[in-house]
Amino acid sequence: MNVRQKLRLKFGAVIILAILAGLISYPRAVSKIPKLYDFFNKPKINLGLDLQGGIHLEYKADLSQVDLAKQKEAMQAMQDAVERKINAFGVAEPVIYTTKSGDEQRLIVELAGIRDINEAKKRIGEMPFLEFKEEKETAVEKIPEDELNKFNETAKKKAEDVLKKALAGEDFAKLAKENSEDPGSKEKGGEYDFIKKGMFVPEYEAVIFDKGLEDGEIYKELVKTQFGWHIIKRIEVRGEGDPAKSPEGDSGASNQEFKSAHILIAKKVQPEPKIEVTATSLTGKNLKSASVGFQNQGLTEPVIDLEFDEEGTKLFAEITKRNIGKRVAILIDGEIITNPTVNSEIPNGKAQITGSYTTQEANDLVKRLNEGALPVPIGNPINQQSVEASLGKISLEKSLKAGIIGMVLVIIFMLLFYRFLGLVASFSLLIYSALMISIFKLSGFSPWQITLTLPGIAGFVLSIGMAVDANILIFERTKEEIKKGRDILSAIEEGFKRAWTSIRDGNMSSIITAFILIEMGTGFVKGFAVTLIIGVIVSMFTAVVITRTILRFVMGKWLENKLWLIGVRK
Amino acid sequence: MINIISKTKYAYIFSGILTLLCIASLLVWGLKLGIDFTGGTLMEVQFENNLPNNLEVEENLKNLNLKSLSLQATGNSTILFRYVPEDDKTNQEVLKTLKEKYPQSKELRTDYANSTISKELKSKSLWSIFWAVAGIMVYIAWAFRKVSRPVPSWKYGMGAIIALVHDILITTGVFSILGHFYGIEIGIPFVAALLTILGFSVHDTIVVYDRTRENLLRSSSKETFPEVVNRSLNETLVRSINTSLTVIITLLAIYIFGGESIKYFSLALLIGVTFGTYSSIFIASALLVTSYKLQINHKT
Repeated sequence: MNVRQKLRLKFGAVIILAILAGLISYPRAVSKIPKLYDFFNKPKINLGLDLQGGIHLEYKADLSQVDLAKQKEAMQAMQDAVERKINAFGVAEPVIYTTKSGDEQRLIVELAGIRDINEAKKRIGEMPFLEFKEEKETAVEKIPEDELNKFNETAKKKAEDVLKKALAGEDFAKLAKENSEDPGSKEKGGEYDFIKKGMFVPEYEAVIFDKGLEDGEIYKELVKTQFGWHIIKRIEVRGEGDPAKSPEGDSGASNQEFKSAHILIAKKVQPEPKIEVTATSLTGKNLKSASVGFQNQGLTEPVIDLEFDEEGTKLFAEITKRNIGKRVAILIDGEIITNPTVNSEIPNGKAQITGSYTTQEANDLVKRLNEGALPVPIGNPINQQSVEASLGKISLEKSLKAGIIGMVLVIIFMLLFYRFLGLVASFSLLIYSALMISIFKLSGFSPWQITLTLPGIAGFVLSIGMAVDANILIFERTKEEIKKGRDILSAIEEGFKRAWTSIRDGNMSSIITAFILIEMGTGFVKGFAVTLIIGVIVSMFTAVVITRTILRFVMGKWLENKLWLIGVRK
Repeated sequence: MINIISKTKYAYIFSGILTLLCIASLLVWGLKLGIDFTGGTLMEVQFENNLPNNLEVEENLKNLNLKSLSLQATGNSTILFRYVPEDDKTNQEVLKTLKEKYPQSKELRTDYANSTISKELKSKSLWSIFWAVAGIMVYIAWAFRKVSRPVPSWKYGMGAIIALVHDILITTGVFSILGHFYGIEIGIPFVAALLTILGFSVHDTIVVYDRTRENLLRSSSKETFPEVVNRSLNETLVRSINTSLTVIITLLAIYIFGGESIKYFSLALLIGVTFGTYSSIFIASALLVTSYKLQINHKT
């Protein structure tokens, strides 16, 4: 194969590439041939939120309750749950991913082409956060027995002293103020206004009702209750009936009330072991399904049956096993929904929520649970960008118009300034644009789909200007070489050779900054930087391969006497 | 051949004054930061045909007590609302109130960022500019490592960086003035524009330096260094202007026809590219010559 044949082959390849790229970017050119049209019309540009309308939401996951080691898993579960929810909502191709920023885990939800932005946001916001909590006793330090006894003896002595004083006729109210350790009545001179019978501890009420005390009389002995020692004064009793003696045993039948005053000298007891409710690792991520059931064959209120996945079944069995006799709480959105006592280990992965639900409420909750229960609370988005579809459409139309006008102006400029060379450059500029659009469209078939955003279009338009730069560099150099006396073909070769280092070095700096822009990671910047990088690389390719091949093919001896065609004056 | 290098003095004076003015504006007025950097809400609402008066709308929103509420009417009968609270509830209340008073109003766009996000974006932006400058400097020093006579290669890097800081300062300064008088805010798009200007300005400077490098390697010993630089400038002049013109043409097209959302983004690029071309012709190479002259004076 000689040089000429090789060149012809190369030129043919460029033409085929140009036609293919042209058809992919503008399939309507063959709309008369349905089969071909369908084939080339398949790849579509993936438009960003700002061009087709949509919403970008950023949620900060509250992982304060989750072990560090399990945070990643929780985020994945959260992402899955939100994905399920969005799919139920019927959004085409949602983009949902998690990112980490410092110590914070974030969930990003991007919904393109969505009609009702607020509805979508509401749907995500109402996703239930389901968790299971168990009781945990925490040991409290014990007070030594003799210390306790000593304290209580002193307290009892003090109580006896105060009783003596009260019986001796000292002002009861004053004594109460000085000595009582009941914060509820101390300041009121120990007095409690009318209270229904049955509300106070039985030892107290026994003194009021059963010891033959008159109104205004102080009981002569200390009364010991769980709180300590009381000195009790009956002030007044009114009302009829005695609940203990009423047939129904219902205190509502009695309206007996009493007014009294007391002085309490408190006693110290061993502190009770503290019971804390702590989170378990069983959460919404383990929910397989929820359904409405009815206890007692639908006669009473509906219940909600939960069924866990494999991991959840195992966890639930473990939780119930270690909590027999204790309570396990089911919480939705941080509120305890049901808090039953565990009777035995439950190995079948089923739990039941009983609560006072109407059938409607139960159905709604089940629907929410089935559409995606969260492993951690999602909260409100910390960052939102929403674009209404009509605004996106205007942006798309306007920026496309700007791009076309820009390109036409550049072509006019090139034709005026470089004439024949400008024509060649304009042709490769068209190929460049077609290649760019084709890359955008075909990227959808690869794992690296490129999304075209408004700044991306700006980047594209800007890259048209920069793509021309490579051509200008080459042409200027070629013209210079012709002026120096070289023949046209060797001038072109020289022009390419000498311009290449400038093109390479200059574009490297653009690529460096574009990569830094991508690292910044926000939507606007990313779209712009990605197109800029692709644009720079493709423009180098078109200048060095396509323009060069075309020039070599079409230029030759015939131009020697028509140098004005390439703008060279000799 | 135009003797560009002999006009260095005027270029230095012009650039010096301009840069000082921009620094002064930045110090006195600062930059008007958008919600990307301050946190808050930006909402665009369209009103069919009859755009209500700003004061009237403000009055209607009074009982929501929106902190630092500001309204700005834009084209296509829309109003931009800006306020400090950045939660969904407030936004919904605003939209509800607007819908009640103006049934035809329609939410076009709602962006909000809370302070965590905005702080993060701020530091990310500053770091990215830092890394871009550092990366470019290293690259230039590397690309020109073979040229060490008569001016060492790191001085090419310095020259490019000074030219680049000059371009960035002027662009930022212009936006400080625009922010003060026309309320134009800068956000992430502005940072993207700055980084692009960085790349472009260096691109231009490199083309000129590249020619200088080539001419130095091939020049006869009769030519002095300033002469070689001046010849290189002349040889690349048409290219520099033509390239910038094509880029400026496309940017103008975006600025005029591209719509509101990318208008100021393209304006920033436009200013940066214009000054980038100017500085690569009049400043970057002049700096090489100046440092060469200093070097010689030092030796003798």
